[in-house]
This record gives sequence, C-alpha cells and structure tokens, in this order.
Amino acid sequence: MNWEVFVLSLRQLLGRRRMFALIALALLPLLIALVFRTGNSETDPVDWTANALLNGLIVTTLLPLVTLVLSTTSLGMEIEDGTIMYLLSKPLPRGQVIMAKLAASWLPAGVLVALSTALSGLIALEGSGDSTLILAFVVSSILGALAYSALFLFLSLLTTRALIVGLIYVFIWEGVVTELFAGTRILSIRQYTLGVGDLLTQTTELDAHLGGPMALTLMLAVTSAVVALAIRRLNRFESRSLF
Amino acid sequence: MIEQPEAQPPAAQTIEPTIKLENASRWFGNLVAVSDISFSVSPGITGLLGPNGAGKSTILQMVAGFLQPSSGSVRVRGQSPWRNDKLYRYTGLVPEREAIYPFLTGYEFVLLNARLHKLPNPKEATVRAVRMVDMEEAQHRATGGYSKGMKQRLKLAAALVHNPLLLLLDEPFNGVDPAQRLHMMGVLRDLAAEGRTIVFSSHILEEVERLADGVLVIVSGRLAASGDFHRIRRLMTDRPHAFVIRSSDNRRLAAALIEVQSVKGVELIDGGLSVRASDFGAFALAVPPVARDAGVTLYEFVPADQSLESVFSYLVNR
Repeated sequence: MNWEVFVLSLRQLLGRRRMFALIALALLPLLIALVFRTGNSETDPVDWTANALLNGLIVTTLLPLVTLVLSTTSLGMEIEDGTIMYLLSKPLPRGQVIMAKLAASWLPAGVLVALSTALSGLIALEGSGDSTLILAFVVSSILGALAYSALFLFLSLLTTRALIVGLIYVFIWEGVVTELFAGTRILSIRQYTLGVGDLLTQTTELDAHLGGPMALTLMLAVTSAVVALAIRRLNRFESRSLF
Repeated sequence: MIEQPEAQPPAAQTIEPTIKLENASRWFGNLVAVSDISFSVSPGITGLLGPNGAGKSTILQMVAGFLQPSSGSVRVRGQSPWRNDKLYRYTGLVPEREAIYPFLTGYEFVLLNARLHKLPNPKEATVRAVRMVDMEEAQHRATGGYSKGMKQRLKLAAALVHNPLLLLLDEPFNGVDPAQRLHMMGVLRDLAAEGRTIVFSSHILEEVERLADGVLVIVSGRLAASGDFHRIRRLMTDRPHAFVIRSSDNRRLAAALIEVQSVKGVELIDGGLSVRASDFGAFALAVPPVARDAGVTLYEFVPADQSLESVFSYLVNR
C-alpha cells in the first residue's frame, strides 16, 4: 500500500458534506435503539437487537450504504475528473494504488459502522442479554465493510454508474433475490456478515442462513478475488479522457 | 540547475530517438482516432499541431502509456510505454484537463507528485519546481481557488518535479495570460536547451510558431506534414487562396481581375465574385488598383478559407 495515496484518498473522502451525511446515517440506529428502549417493553431486547437492529438495520442498510458511498467515490471520482492521471503516471505498481484506495475507504466505513453497532447495541440491550452479540457484530461489520469496499471499488473501475449498480446489488440482489432463492446466498456479502456475526456470538436468537466457517471462508475468498480483479483491471486501465 | 534522475534506462545509451511511432493506429469501436502514423521525435521542442479532434491527445496518451495502440508500435526511449510504469521516472505529463485536487495547496500538490516519484529530497525538489513556474506567492493557497492559468503552471511544476527527460504537454497554454505564456515558453526553451525532449499539442499556429523547433501536423488522425516549422509555414502560405469580393460592378471587375498574374480563376456568384489566387500577398495588393482602374467600387473583400481547418485540409489533400 502506498502511504501518500492513502492519505490523499482519506482527505478526499473526508469532505465536510459527505462525512456529515454519513455520520447522520450512522446515528440513525442509535436513535432507533433509544426509541426502542423508551417505548415497547414487551419485545425481547436480545431478539430485537440481533434481528431488527443489527441484522435488519445495520448489516442490511447502514453497512452497504456507507461503504457504497465511500468506495465508489474513492476511485470513481478520480476517474471522472481525471485526477487519477496523477497517480497512474508515477513509477508505482498499480496494486499499491488499489490497496491504498481500499484502505482509505474501508477505514472510515469500518469506524462509522463499528461505532454505530457498538453504541446502538449497548443502548438497545442496556446491560441485559449476551454481551458477545455486540462484539460479534462489531467484528463482523468491520469485515463486511472490507468485503463491500473491495466490491464497490472494483465496480467503480468497471462502470461510471457504480453507485447505481451497487444500489441494485444491495437492494435487488441481496434484498430480494437472496431472500427468494436460498442458493444465491453464497454470493451475498450481507449473508457473509451475518454468518460471521453468528459464528462469534453465543446468542441463539440470530437468524443467519450461512454457517459461520463457510461465511468467513466465502467472505475472505470473495474479497481477495475482487481485489485481484481490481488490480488487474487498473493495470489494463485505458481512458480516452485522462489527458 | 536541474538534477538528473538517479539512473538512466538502458535505452538512454542508444542513439534511438526519444519517441518513435511506427504505423501506429488507434481506434475506438468504429471511430479511428489515429490512423497509421509514423514519426520520431528527438530532443528539442516539437509541436503537435492540428484542429480540435484531430487525434493529438490520443497520440500523446499512447506515448504516455495510457492508451495501447490498436496496431503498429509506440516506443519511448526504445521501450513500449504501455503498462511500463518505470518509464514515468523519465516522463513528465501536463494534461489538458484542469482538475487538480482542490483541497491541496499548490505546494502540497507538487510535493505529492515528488513523493509519489519517491525522490530522495521531495521538499527541495518541490521548492525548485514551484520556483521554476513562478508560483511561489500562491503556493500555500488551496488549488480550488486558482485561475486556469495558475493551474496550468502548477501542473507544469508537478510534471517537472522529478526532472523528466521527456515532457508531454496537452494544450499547455489554454487559459494562460500572455505574460504567463511567455514565462512558460521560456521555461520550456530552457529545458529543451538542456537536451530534454518536449512535445506539446496545440491548435494555435502562432503558439507552435513561437516555440517549436519541429512540427507534426495532425489532421483527422493522420500525419499531414512534419518537419521544420518554416517549411510547413511556407506550404501553408503558398497554397491557393480563395476570396469573396463584392463590388459595384462584379462582371467588369471579374474581367479586370483575370488579367492579374496571381489569379487562377474567377467565378460569378450570387451578389459577388469568388476568386482563386496563388499568392495571398500579391493578390491582396493587386486588387485595389485594378478595381480603381476599372472604375469599380469595392464593397467587400474577404478571404474565404482562412480557418485553420481549411489550411490543414489543404496539407492533407495536397
């Protein structure tokens, strides 16, 4: 990974307006957890936290949206405005550019989602139930952020409409198709994240469809494959409008 | 004084030209951007002249290693630039596109380029490059607030920070005011005098005339003419010229003009005359006395084909 590209990309991504919007998004689960605690007392807090908050809201919505915005911006914006030329015209292996871009989009996404998971989980459980549940989802959402970041980074090298394609993947493929056809779940980062969360927690209330070891293996394999494809793609990257 | 890169690539010891294109073509689907072009470029300043859309940027992008030729070969210092990132140690690029990271100051931007090149003393190299383009005063301001001319100079500083032996510039004087342009031209001349190879593209004849030692005229993706600028300028000047003349008696004027030696043909057109002449200057001087002697009043006397595109078309079709 190239440190200069990493720092540059972080500064690019942490623009005031974008970060304000993402922080507001990350605060949403905290607000909902607060409403849950102050409102309905008949629902089992562990079951609600595992399935409604962590699975339903954070893993299904917050995690992919935050990573989608950061990862497609990280490379996509540079390709669009032509500044990628300043990185590609250097005696620098392009794999280092990809790794730096990936790290720069993963870091803020991971921090935001992990903080949102930990704080909203603590509010919802309020000291009750299994304490491993929150820790498990902090770890699995950080790993999920890595997998999503790699995928969306690769998408931004394939198309200028990476944001739209990413939304289709998240809401149509993961949200609808994998719910209807169980076999497609092996191609869902959301299912990997849930499976890893399930592997790390002792809570039995969580509805994960993939076994923990399989989910972890698939997550690592898919992430590695997508990173390799992104490096290959950038190595062969051509653009008529760089100059 | 400019410090040389630490090591020379193996090709530097050969007598090969810095850039060599052999039957290079590049197409995008059905669009042929560059067609079967061959030329070589040696140290000095070479202007890539042609109208917008002629293929100049595509040629520069192939030389820069951002586009692979569809056929033929492109060599830079004897090596293919495509997927050859080591060549960037010896190459500096100034793109036409304005975009610079707007949150960086000018100094930070040049320093970033120095660090990406892994220079042993990036800060020193940055100070020198910023000084070369006369940007010391504005260097600590964010580039988002720079004018187009300032961005052009900053991009030149970033391209020069590692002392490249080859400098490629795409329309480098766009948006640059006359004083800045003169200064940039001076910098480029100094670099060329040190034995560097500088290739810049332009669609403005005067820019090329003032700066380039050699010219490559590109039209519709093809090499229309190449060589010494003055030879090409002469070709452009000696070509047949067309004029439209409107007068008080077009028919009488046509009869009088046909006697003029430089006139190659006269045609009556709607409300005037279309005249073809071989010598622009001689014809322009001959018309007023001829009209006066014929008792005709001139209302309008306009060169009909002075656009750069028509000059280029002539060179292609001659």
